[in-house]
Amino acid sequence: MIAATRIETRGLAASYGTSPPALSGVTFAVQAGQAVAVLGPNGGGKTTLFRALLGEISVVAGTLTIGAATAYVPQTERSRLDFPVSALDVALMGAYARTSWYRRVTSADRATARAALARVGLSEQARTRFGELSGGQRQRVLIARALVQDAEVLLLDEPFGGVDQSSEQAIMGILDDLRDEGRVLLIATHDVEQARRWDRVLCLRGEQIAYGPPAETLTNAVLQDTYGAEIVMLDCGHRAVAIQHHHH
Amino acid sequence: MQRALLAALALSVTGGLLGTWIVLRRLAFFAHAAGSATFPGLVVAGPWGIAAPLAALAAGLSFAGLLARITRRGATSTNAATGLLLAGALALGIVLASDVYESGAGVDRLLFGTLLGLSDADLWLAAAVAASAIAATAALGRTWLATGFDPAAARSLGVPAARGDGLLLALLAVSVVATLPAVGALLVSALLVVPAATARLLTASIGTLLATSVVLAVGESVTGLLLAFHLDLPPGPAIAIVGGGVFALAALATAAPRRPRARSIA
Repeated sequence: MIAATRIETRGLAASYGTSPPALSGVTFAVQAGQAVAVLGPNGGGKTTLFRALLGEISVVAGTLTIGAATAYVPQTERSRLDFPVSALDVALMGAYARTSWYRRVTSADRATARAALARVGLSEQARTRFGELSGGQRQRVLIARALVQDAEVLLLDEPFGGVDQSSEQAIMGILDDLRDEGRVLLIATHDVEQARRWDRVLCLRGEQIAYGPPAETLTNAVLQDTYGAEIVMLDCGHRAVAIQHHHH
Repeated sequence: MQRALLAALALSVTGGLLGTWIVLRRLAFFAHAAGSATFPGLVVAGPWGIAAPLAALAAGLSFAGLLARITRRGATSTNAATGLLLAGALALGIVLASDVYESGAGVDRLLFGTLLGLSDADLWLAAAVAASAIAATAALGRTWLATGFDPAAARSLGVPAARGDGLLLALLAVSVVATLPAVGALLVSALLVVPAATARLLTASIGTLLATSVVLAVGESVTGLLLAFHLDLPPGPAIAIVGGGVFALAALATAAPRRPRARSIA
């Protein structure tokens, strides 16, 4: 059986407004049930790629085809932790697009949101204020929201940033399950070792550096091209650590 | 007095509902600035033969439109752009008032307000804006909630984030204009910010926040109006003082040490 192609780009270039392209030369295809690590330094084009896939910025060259509903799972730090919303309220936001402006969210969607929270292991926290949850729990609530959207393609922006190791394992298990049921996952990360875990890796640095299975793609040469001076090779070149400069 | 009470009720509904979004979306400075930015419109209204509320509305909408345009690309923060436009509007108003036209009593009235001397037109405008605030909260509340909570993901959730934000700013500008005759351009925050800011201290869900904000706005404006009537005070400042007092009490009550809640780690 040949899996259906869910995302395909050829020579994609995207830009913000009339600015020169922030990302160019991106060519890759993702099949149903594949998880792709999108690897690159800060400013390398990971978020730009996601915004182009979501149709939020202009594709100025090449082609882009997405054959499934797409949801964006942002970093939890981007959300307002002081907002008076519970975990259930946030999960229910996934139903907003199919709720007419003059109607309340349906009881069926409430049940879907509760089921999504149960699936990510947060049934007990449904009524807890989002800002009172731990970083890992917040990330799982945002994944639950994407499930309520019934998205087949999930774009996850640094899902393991700021979460402890046990939460990372929990999130990893959830993502494995989602992939196994045929969903497509694009996981933005700057963690080279994390990227080795997924089916494919897409290396970006303003343009596409490489795309393919991690074992073949993550060579020292590709990592040097992706990170430049920001990469440190360990264990005689068997491990690589990206040095990230956080912008405040 | 009956007319003043009706106006206070209508403006309180507006202030309670929109004030909730103002506070949640951190637009309190915008609301205050939009009131003050109507100043040049009020100055030219008389000499140009335009109704003062219409001139104030044009100035308020121009302020909101320019703010949306300046902040669209994200290079300038909303606060910085608001401060920039506020300084520009006040400077323009002062030049027009002192060097080009003579400011009349109408301008003074709209700058400082007089809830006890409203016209029928003022009352109808307050009622229409209250109805708009109810309808907009019902229709756009989810959009405003999702956009405010998670701006990065709002569009991917399928809500009309940009259109919703534009309508919120426009509705705030119109609400400011409707509030001007009652409490004046310099005290619009007394109705549009203070009750919701107080309710924010007392509630933890969006539904109760909206309801508490409206109840507080009604209570504070009616109490302020009665104090003004019986003690011969200007109504706008009386409402602002009552609102400030209630906020202080709420802040003191909620600042009392609480038993810490258990927090999960996983």
